[in-house]
Formats: sequence, structure tokens, C-alpha cells
Amino acid sequence: MAVQPEIEKKSVVQTVLDVADDVFTRITAGIPAGEVRRMIRGEAPGRPNPRLKPHSEAFLLHIKPTYYHESVTKFTHTFRLGLLSTYLFFVETITGLILMIWYAPTPERAYVDMIRLLSNVPFGQFMRDMHRLGAELMVLIVTAHMVRTYLTGSYKAPRQFTWFTGVILLVVTLFLSFSGYLLPWDQLAFWAVTIGTSMAEAVPPAIVGETVNLLARGAPDIGANGLLRFYLLHVLFLPLILFLFFFVHYYKVVHFGISLPSDEEEVGQDTANKVPADRRVYFLPDVMIDEASFLIGFTALMVFLTAFFFSAPLESIANPQSTPLHTVAPWYFYWLQGLLKIADKMIAGVILPGVLLVLLMAIPYLDRNPSRRARDRRVAIISGLVAGIVMVIWSWMGTPYYAVQGAPAVEVVQKLMPEEGAGHVRELGYANLPLGVYDTREHPVTENEEFNHILHQFEGHIAHFEEEDPSFNTPYGVLTVSQEQPSLKRLTWEIHWLSPEGVEDTFKRTFFLHENSLYWEQYGLRDFSFIRPAADLAAEE
Amino acid sequence: MKRPWYNFLYVRAPILKIGLGIGALLLTIGLLLFLGVVEESRMEAQTANWDGRAVEKGAEIYANNCYNCHGMDGKGLPGVAPALHSNYFFTQRLADVGWSGSLKDYIALTVAAGRPSNVNMQWAQMMPTWSNRFGGPLRDDQVNAVTAYVLNWEKSALTQGTEDNPDPWQFFANAPTRAVAGAEGTAAEAAVVAEPTGPRQPQELFVSMGCGGCHNLDQPQAADNRGPVGPNMANLHETAGTHGEDAETYVHTSIVNPNAYVSEGYMAGIMPQNFAEKMSEEEIDGLVAWLLDPNRVR
Repeated sequence: MAVQPEIEKKSVVQTVLDVADDVFTRITAGIPAGEVRRMIRGEAPGRPNPRLKPHSEAFLLHIKPTYYHESVTKFTHTFRLGLLSTYLFFVETITGLILMIWYAPTPERAYVDMIRLLSNVPFGQFMRDMHRLGAELMVLIVTAHMVRTYLTGSYKAPRQFTWFTGVILLVVTLFLSFSGYLLPWDQLAFWAVTIGTSMAEAVPPAIVGETVNLLARGAPDIGANGLLRFYLLHVLFLPLILFLFFFVHYYKVVHFGISLPSDEEEVGQDTANKVPADRRVYFLPDVMIDEASFLIGFTALMVFLTAFFFSAPLESIANPQSTPLHTVAPWYFYWLQGLLKIADKMIAGVILPGVLLVLLMAIPYLDRNPSRRARDRRVAIISGLVAGIVMVIWSWMGTPYYAVQGAPAVEVVQKLMPEEGAGHVRELGYANLPLGVYDTREHPVTENEEFNHILHQFEGHIAHFEEEDPSFNTPYGVLTVSQEQPSLKRLTWEIHWLSPEGVEDTFKRTFFLHENSLYWEQYGLRDFSFIRPAADLAAEE
Repeated sequence: MKRPWYNFLYVRAPILKIGLGIGALLLTIGLLLFLGVVEESRMEAQTANWDGRAVEKGAEIYANNCYNCHGMDGKGLPGVAPALHSNYFFTQRLADVGWSGSLKDYIALTVAAGRPSNVNMQWAQMMPTWSNRFGGPLRDDQVNAVTAYVLNWEKSALTQGTEDNPDPWQFFANAPTRAVAGAEGTAAEAAVVAEPTGPRQPQELFVSMGCGGCHNLDQPQAADNRGPVGPNMANLHETAGTHGEDAETYVHTSIVNPNAYVSEGYMAGIMPQNFAEKMSEEEIDGLVAWLLDPNRVR
């Protein structure tokens, strides 16, 4: 066989290099290796600019602009919040898909699957924590994205519709987060969603509200059908809606460009297609390096937070027969819960949020102010800040601190050893609860410092409620810690008090605590006490 | 243009960005490696955690539903329900009933499906079905939790069999153990309790003789509020004299010879017929007086 003419001309090494470069150029959709080298060295592109080719060749890049206005590439202009929201959706999809492997949406299996995921799947807890953290961060960052857009007045012409789709994306994000809430099928999930869907019931007229509620729950009460429906909403329907509106939103962003700082752009001016040549920052390589390094940094932060400071909660299995004390919505719905405490369900749960939502969507069409400069927008900015403060106040009212105090004796025990979740006593753990009877009238002191702290709190809470509540007179508490079984302690909390009529009353609550039980709070330093020194393990064997 | 205070966040140099990106990537890999190293012990701790929590849940269910018959510390009530916190139960029971599965399965089955047997004589009450699969109140996870709780007695049950820590197991009259008798002293022998000195208190007798398993002291017996197995006793002082004899004689007779009067709607032969042998005359009189006391103190 004759040697091919090119090789004859070029030598073998050169031919191999050329083929390699050809393959490289195909993979990068048009950028040869030498151009990558020039990019990294910060050299200017040749003419015609070969760095534009991937934008026309590669599907994933064709929706990205080839260049941006220099002013919008500053991190401090947008804080990359839109990019971050998109990235979090991507993170949620990946972690969510992995979690789906070990999950079946039926009441018989959902909760057991959670336990199996936590105790039998390598990195299972990590994936779950990451997914939950990502969901909460996504709500936070989408909201921050909206606040930033509002404060810089970027919703003004020609970007009104971009804002409109953004509000839809915010709502879908909230629903996505909320629909995922039910899936672990624990008490936290079950009751938050029961309360949430019961708001749908208040939609007037009654027949509509009841139908909506029935459709969401699949039965008068949440059960197997409700779980399946929320699962399908969470993994299929809402992500598809989000996907659709994301592309509408992003198309508008590319079409009109990101708004420039207010001094550089007048309302209504088209700055996306008229960027002066000397102010262009090309996506390849500058913006890409910026976005990629930013997202890698953010991923590192998320992994760090998940590893040390965030643990997704898992309470007892859902029990429709027993409502735990102080049921709360997720924090991003505290404001709604606060509203529900001061107003009727139809007004606070349906009409007011509906009006707020319509107002939010209509902002660009209502705000006729022709300037985007902060000094010209005092009314808009101040009313935005006031709305934010009102939101915070409503949210505070949504927490159990506002207007839902139960009987004093119940609250005292709830503070130390809540029905659900961790609480101080469970965090202290089995080993730090010495057996005995501790009567607060005797101010008991034990050898265990941490347990003394609990007893001190017990006394303190009782004294606090004695001051607050006139029907809670001369109270005292007795905590009995006894050995119920091997490695199982029984804690009996008894609180005695006199009613205003002088009648003695008693509250008694019994809890059990096992030696191996670990209880954790959602936020806070993770407990790594399960890591035992190698010497311990060897001694056991 | 005035720079905002947060301007330091704006990194300009591409090489710095690339450096930070690579640093973050290495940090992520490092964190994941660390998590990977401790993953095995984390999973172990989680497994133990959820097993422990099941025992806690089981303890709550036991305290609410089971202790009436099986006793507060699981040592059973004579004539009402067998001991579970028992050496015999953990070591020999399966062989005696001919169960080839595990003890866990045996307990779970019994809790879930109950004991649909009417061959009584020893236990006054049938074990009810607890699982909601068979019409009871407990979900599967609760049946498993209460099973975990019963199994958690194993460690202390295995230390039983000594003189000051006897095995509380009591045998069916017609079902002796298949364990070789006499070799080490059977559990049945260990269960023989030394005769107490002096008459026992009625409150104590009511519990130790297992009366509470069938007779509720707090509920009155009425047409719309009947004890399911034995009549309620809150209003015994009012109803006892309505059977043609004076109240004391009626109650006394009903204890020593339960079938003499069987209240309408209840079955004869449910109440054990050997109380006369298990209590002294003095104790029975005390018990009768206490039961008829309108201001009975528990």
C-alpha cells in the first residue's frame, strides 16, 4: 500500500498532531488547541474571531450571547444571582434524580426508604442534605435575584415581560420546594402540607375550593393518593413548567440584554445590540472563566455547608391521628402562617397572597417613573424596603413565638424535650442523664455539669411562666430518670401547680431515650461523635 | 463613579479567577474524600440510631397498650398474660411452641395477628389483634417498634434464673417445657415465689393476681359502658348488693368461685378459679372490703 500523499509531504508526527487538533476542534465546536492557548495567555483573537464559532456550532452555547457589555460583567452589578438560580435547579435535578433511586412514593415505603437512605446508602445522607439545602438556597437566591432587579429598576422597559416571567419562576420555585416537603412522609412534612393544602380549600366559592383541595390531596385527607400527586408534581409537572418559563425568561434576557447600571442606560434604550466595540467582553474566554470559577466556588461552599452545618430533618413517621405541638411551615412560608394567625383563612390564605402576587407581576406596568436612578426612585425603593420589613414581621408572627403559647406546663416540657425534633435533653443524650428523681424545689445538683444545666433551665422556664401566667401559681417540676430497659431510659416530666382557685393541677409527660439514638437540629454544627478512634474499634473486636 | 462598599467582591484578573476555581475544586474533592472516609461509621451510627428510635417508639406503645396485661416491666401478670421479660421466653419458648422462625418474627406475628385461640385456662384474655391489617389500631411500623422494644429486654432477661432475680415465666398447666427438667432447674421452678409473710395489701393483690387485666377500677359498669372481658368496678359498691345476697358475700363468692354468678353477657370459665388457693382468707376479706369501699384508694 502506498503511503498517503499528505504523510509523504508532512511527516508522521505532524500528521498525528494535525488529526489530534482536528478532533480537539470538533469537541470544542470550532476552537483549535492553539486558540485555547492564546485564550489562556490573554491574547486577542485573530480575525475573523474564531471564538465565535462555538456559539453557532454548539447547541449548548447558541443560547448564550457571544459578548456582553463590559458594565454588566462586573460581579457586583448582578452578583450572578440569575446564573446561580439556574445552577441550583441543575444541582436539584442531579441530586433529586439520585434520591429517586431509593424512593417509592407510597405511605408504606416513603419513610422507611428515608431511613434506609440515611443508614444504608453511601453518601445517601449527603445527597439528601444537599438536595434540601439546595432547595432552600434556591428559594433564597431566586428571591434575592428579584430584590436586586427591583432595586436597580431593571424591570422597566423594555424588560417588563422578563420580570413577569421571573415572578412566575419564583412562584414555581416556591411550589417545587413545598411539594418536595411532603415526600419524606414524616410528621413535619405531613402537617405542613396538610395546613398548606387546607388553604386551597378557602378559595371562594366553596365548590371550587373543595375541588382544588380534593384534587391536590387526592382524598379528603392526605394519604397514598396525595403523596403520589405531590411526588408527580415535584418530579415531573413543576420542573417542566419551570423549564419552560426558564427558557422564556432567558430568551428575554438575551434578547434585551442585562440592564446596564442606571447612569449608562436610559429606560427604553436598546443596549443589547448596540455595544460599542471597545466595551465588549466576549463570552469566550472571559465570561466563561468567570462563570465557571464562580460556580465551582459556589459548589465548594455548598458541599462545605452540607458537610458541617446543615442536616435535613427527619421526624417521626406521619401520623394523621396526632398533630404535633407547634406545627410550622417551612421558613419561606412563615409570612403566610403569620397572616393566617391574624386574619380569616379566605382573606389571609387566598385573597391577600393573590393580590400580592398580581401586584408583584404588575409592577413594571404600574411603575411609570421614566428613570432608573436611585435618587429618582425614592418612592419605589422606600416602598420596596417597607414591603420587605412587613414580610419579616409577618414571618416572625408565623413562628411559634407569636400567639400560640400553649399551657405553661406543656411549654416548659416542649422547650426542653419537644414532641418532635431534638431539643436540649435529647442532644445531651442518654449517657448524660443520670438516674434519679430531681425536684426543682430542692435545686438538685448532680456531678454532670451539662445535666445540671438542663435542671437549671427546667427551673428557669417554670419560674418564667410563673411570672407570665397568673393561673400558674407556686409551680414546681419533678424530673424522674429511670432505667426502663437495658440501654433505654424513661424520662418522666411532672409539673405541679395551683390554679387561681387554689386547686392543685398536674401535667405529666413521659419520653424514652435510647443509648444509640442521635437527634439533630437542621441548622448548626454537625455532630461527628460517631467517628470513634481506631483504638475503640479494636477494643470492641 | 463611586465604588460601592462591596466592590472587593469583584475579582477582575482571569488568572486569579482560574486559581480560585482550582482551589475550590480541590477543596470540594478534599471534603468529599473526608466524607467518604467517615461514611462507613456514619452509616453504622445511623443504623443504630434508627434501631434505637424504634425501641423508643415501641416503649411508648407498650406503655399505652400492653403493660395492663404484660406488666410494667414485662414480667407478665399471673393468670392474665405471659412474661416477655423472661429468660425462658428468650431461650426456650420458640422450641416449646415449635416455631422455626426467629423470635422477632414470632413476636411481630403475635402482636400483629394476636392469638385467636379460645383454649384458655391460663390466660384470662385473648391476645387481641393489634395490626391494622387485621382490624387493630397499629400500623406496620408500630408493630415493628413494639417488637424491637420487647427484644430489647434480651440482655437483662438472660441474667435471670438466680434466686433474687427469678424468671417470671409461668407455664400453661398442660404445656410443660420440652427443656430437660432437672438438669439445671427449669424456669418453672425458678418462678416459684417465696411465700410472703403477713397478709398482702389489696392494692398489691389486685395487680399481682392480674385482676386489672379484665376489671377496670375507674370505669363504672353500665349498660352503655361495659367492660369488654370482665365487668367494670368503679360502681361495685352500688351494684354488688343487687344479686340477692349482701354485697360482701357476693364479691367473696365471686372471687373464690367465679362461676357461681356470671353477669349477663359474660362467659363462664374466663376468670381463674384458683384464687382461694393463691390468697389467704384474710387477704380475700381485705380485698373484698377494699373493692366495696366507695372511696377506694389505689
